[in-house]
Amino acid sequence: MRAAWRWSAILGAVGVSATFPLWAGSPYGLELGISVALFAVLSTGLNLVYGYTGLLSFAQVAYFGIAGYTSALLWTNFEFPMLAGALMGGLLAALLGLLIGYASLRLSRHAFAIVSLSLALLCQIVSRDWVSLTRGPMGIPGLSAPTVAFAGIGQVSFDRPAAFYYLMLSYAILVLALLYRLVHSRIGRAFLAMKLNQPLAESQGIDPLGYRLLAISISAAVTGIAGGLYVFHLTIVDPSIFDFYYTEAMLIMVIIGGPGSFWGVLAASLAFSMIPDLLRFSTDLRMIFYGIVLVTAMLAFPRGLGGLLPARIAVPWRCRAQA
Amino acid sequence: MTRSALSTPLLAVRGLTKRYYGLTAVDGLTFSVPARSIVGLIGPNGSGKTTTIDCISGFQRPDAGEWSLDGCRLTGLAPYRHAVAGLTRTFQAVRSYEELTLIENLRVAAQEHDGHGWWAAFMGSEALRRAEAAAEARGRDLLSLVGLSSYADHSAAILSYGQRKLLAIAAALMPHPDLILLDEPVAGINPTMIRSIEDIIRRVNREGIAVLIVEHNMQFIMNLCQHVVVLEQGRKIAEGPPALVRSDPRVLAAYIGTAPESASDG
Amino acid sequence: MGPGVDLGLPLQLLINGLVLGVLYALIAMGLALIFGVLEIVNFAHGELYMLGAVAAYFLTTSLSVGYWGTIALTTAGAVGLGALFYEGLLAFIAGRGFERSILLTLGVSMVLQNGALYVLTATPRMETTPYSYRSVILGDVSIPLLRVFALGLALLAFAALYVLLHHTRMGQAIRGVAQNRAAALMVGIDTHAVSRLAVAIGVGLSGLAGAALAPVYSVHPTMGVAFVFKAFAIVIIGGLGNLPGCAVAAILLGLLESVVGGFFSPTLVDSLGFLAMIMLLLFKPEGLFGRGVRL
Repeated sequence: MRAAWRWSAILGAVGVSATFPLWAGSPYGLELGISVALFAVLSTGLNLVYGYTGLLSFAQVAYFGIAGYTSALLWTNFEFPMLAGALMGGLLAALLGLLIGYASLRLSRHAFAIVSLSLALLCQIVSRDWVSLTRGPMGIPGLSAPTVAFAGIGQVSFDRPAAFYYLMLSYAILVLALLYRLVHSRIGRAFLAMKLNQPLAESQGIDPLGYRLLAISISAAVTGIAGGLYVFHLTIVDPSIFDFYYTEAMLIMVIIGGPGSFWGVLAASLAFSMIPDLLRFSTDLRMIFYGIVLVTAMLAFPRGLGGLLPARIAVPWRCRAQA
Repeated sequence: MTRSALSTPLLAVRGLTKRYYGLTAVDGLTFSVPARSIVGLIGPNGSGKTTTIDCISGFQRPDAGEWSLDGCRLTGLAPYRHAVAGLTRTFQAVRSYEELTLIENLRVAAQEHDGHGWWAAFMGSEALRRAEAAAEARGRDLLSLVGLSSYADHSAAILSYGQRKLLAIAAALMPHPDLILLDEPVAGINPTMIRSIEDIIRRVNREGIAVLIVEHNMQFIMNLCQHVVVLEQGRKIAEGPPALVRSDPRVLAAYIGTAPESASDG
Repeated sequence: MGPGVDLGLPLQLLINGLVLGVLYALIAMGLALIFGVLEIVNFAHGELYMLGAVAAYFLTTSLSVGYWGTIALTTAGAVGLGALFYEGLLAFIAGRGFERSILLTLGVSMVLQNGALYVLTATPRMETTPYSYRSVILGDVSIPLLRVFALGLALLAFAALYVLLHHTRMGQAIRGVAQNRAAALMVGIDTHAVSRLAVAIGVGLSGLAGAALAPVYSVHPTMGVAFVFKAFAIVIIGGLGNLPGCAVAAILLGLLESVVGGFFSPTLVDSLGFLAMIMLLLFKPEGLFGRGVRL
C-alpha cells in the first residue's frame, strides 16, 4: 500500500540526485547540491538524538567542527588522507559525545541540553583563542581533496565540485540507509519505549543511559565524519565552522519536519537547504528568519509538520513484519 | 544462576531502610519470598509498602539494606538490571505504551531478554528473527491468558483501566521472570475482574513464577497468598500464613487504630 | 584586566576575580531565578545582557545621558522588557515542556543577536564616560573606577534582591512558587504575576550588568555569548535553581579565571567554566550545593 508509493519516491529521489550534475551542473547548483546532501546528514543525525531519543542536543555543530579541525590538522601535519582523517574526526567526536553524555545524563536531559550548548559555545571561543593549535581566526587553509583513479573514468580530483557532490551524496545515502535501519530495528523500538514511558521501559530491562549514549555516539560520529569531509570542500577550516548557523538550520529542519519523523525531517532539510539560497537572504536576515520560524513553531505547532498529520505517531517499525 | 531448592528464598530482603526528610518510610525491613510462592505485603496507608517495592525493583535508592534474587545481589543496581536478572513488576499507577498496539507492548517487554545485543539487532540475523517470532507467539499466548486476545492488534489507548492492568501483568510475564512484583493489581477494579486476576495469578504461579503482591484488598490477599507480611510505619509487625495474620492482634490494631478516646467530652 | 603593580599581583588578581565573579553572579542569578520559578532555561539571557549594553551605549553616546542616569534608565527598561517578554512569549509556553522553552528562547536569541548584527554590524563600540581611565588605588592594588562602580551596583542589586525575596510578601510568593508551583496555586498565590515578576527581575539584572559593563568592555552584538555559556555552567555548578549556590559558584569562577589567567595562560581561561562544569557533573551531579536547596 504505502510501501510501493514510498519506494518509487525513494528511487525517484535517488535518480534525480544521481543525475543532478548533468542537468544543474553550474557551480552554484553543485554548491546547493552539496549543501543539501550535507544537511540531510546533519539533520538526520540531530533527529536521531532529539527526535528518536528525546535528547535536545546543541553539540552537533561541535562534533562537526571538531572533526573538521581534526581532519584538517591530520592532513596538514601528518598527511593523513582525507577519508582517514574524517574517520578519526568522527571517532573523536563520538568520544566527546560519550563524555558529555555520560557526565550530564546522570543528572537529567535538561543538563545534557545545557552542557551541549556550552560545548558548542566553548568551541567557538577556543577555536578562536587557542592559536597554537587551531591557528586562531585565520584558520587552517589550503586543504585539498585527493585525486583518485577510477577504473574506466580515469583520474578524478575531488576538488572538483561535481566530484565532491557525488562524494557527499554517497556519504549521505550511506548514512541515511544506516540510520533508517537503526531506527527501524528493535534499537529504535527501545528509543521509542523510553520516550513513551521511561519507567516502564526500565522495568522491562531497557537501559536508558546505555541507549542514549549509543544514540549520541552514532549521531556524533556521522556528524563528525561529515565535517571531516566538508572542510576539504571549503578548503579551509576556521572558527566559522562552529557558527550557530548550522545549529539553527538543523533545529529548524528537525522541528519543522517533525522530531522522530524520518522522512519529514529529510523533506524539511531539503526545503530549508534550498529556501535561503533561493531567496538570497543575507546571512543575518536568514538567521532572523530562522529565529522567527523557531519562535512561531514553538508557540503554534511544537511537534512540527509530522505532528500536524493525523495518527502520525512515529512507530517506524510497524511496517516491517519481523525485526 | 542455579535453581535453588524450594526452602531457600528466591528473594531475600535484609535490613531495608529508607528515609525521606527525616521521616522513616521503611525501617530495617527483613523478609523473603520463597521460590514458586505467592507472598502478600500488606499494611495501612503510609506503612512503606510502595517504598519497599520501589526499592527492591531498583526505582528508589534505600539508605541501608540489601536484597538479592536467587543469590544474585541486586542492591544498588539500576532498575533495568533487576528486570534482566528475572525480577519484573507492575506499577500502582498503571503503565503501558499507549501509542503502541497490545502485541507491540508485549514485544518491547521481551526484547532485552533473548540475549541478542545491539549489533545483532542492527544486522538482523536469522536467530534474531526467530527470537522475535517466538516473542510474538508468547505475546499472543499471554494475551489469551489475560483475555485480551481480541485487542491484540489494537492500540493500547482503547483499553479500559482494568484491561490496562491485565496488559501490564502480561507484559511483566513476557521475559519468563523468576519473580513478579504486583503493586496494587486490583485497586479500582470491579469484583468480576478481580476474580479473573486471581485466576491468572494462580495459573502463573503454578508454572513456577513467584509472586509478591502489595495490596489493600484483604480478601484478595487472603485468597491468594501462602504467606503474608504486615508492615506498619515502615516496620514488619507480623508475618505468617493468612489465617494467622488476619487474627493477629497487632495487625488488627494497626488497621483499626487504638481504641477511640473521646477527645472532647463535656 | 586593569593595570596591576607587580608586588601586589596576587592581590590584584584576587580583586579582579572578585569583581568578575560578582558580575558573573549578576547575570547567572537572573538565569537561575527564571529557571527556579518557571523551569525555563532562558537562552536569550546573553542577548538581553547585550541589549542592556547597547541601550547604555546609545543613551550615553547619542543622547548624552550621564553614567548614573544611563544605569537607572537601562535597568528600568530591562525590567519592563522582562515583563513584556514574559507576557508576550514565555507565558504561553511555561510548563509546556522543557524543550519548547529552550527552543523558543533560542529563537528569540537568534532574532536579537542577528537583528543587532544586521542593524549595528559586528564592529565593537566603546562607550566612554567621564569615569573611564580613572582608577582607585589601594596600596599596591589598582582597580578601574568603572569596575568599582559595577561591583557596587551589583552588590546593591544583590542586597535589594535578598530583601525582596526574604522580607516581602511578593518575595515569599516567589520562593513559594519556586518550591512547588502546584502548592502555591492552591494557597492562592497568583503564579502568573509571580512569574512575570521573576522574569522582570531576571532580565533587569542582566540589563543592569550590561549597562554597568558597557563602558568596561566593548559593546558588540555577540558580547552576550561568552557570558551566557559561563552563566549556564555557573547555574549547573551551583545547583539548578539554587540562587545562593549560584552566587558562590559565580564568584569562585571569577576568582579561578582571574588567577589562572594571571599566573598561567589567558588563552584557555574561557574553557575553565566548562571544564569545571563537566568535572562537577562527573563527580557530584547535583551541583556543589545540591538541587534540593532552592532560592
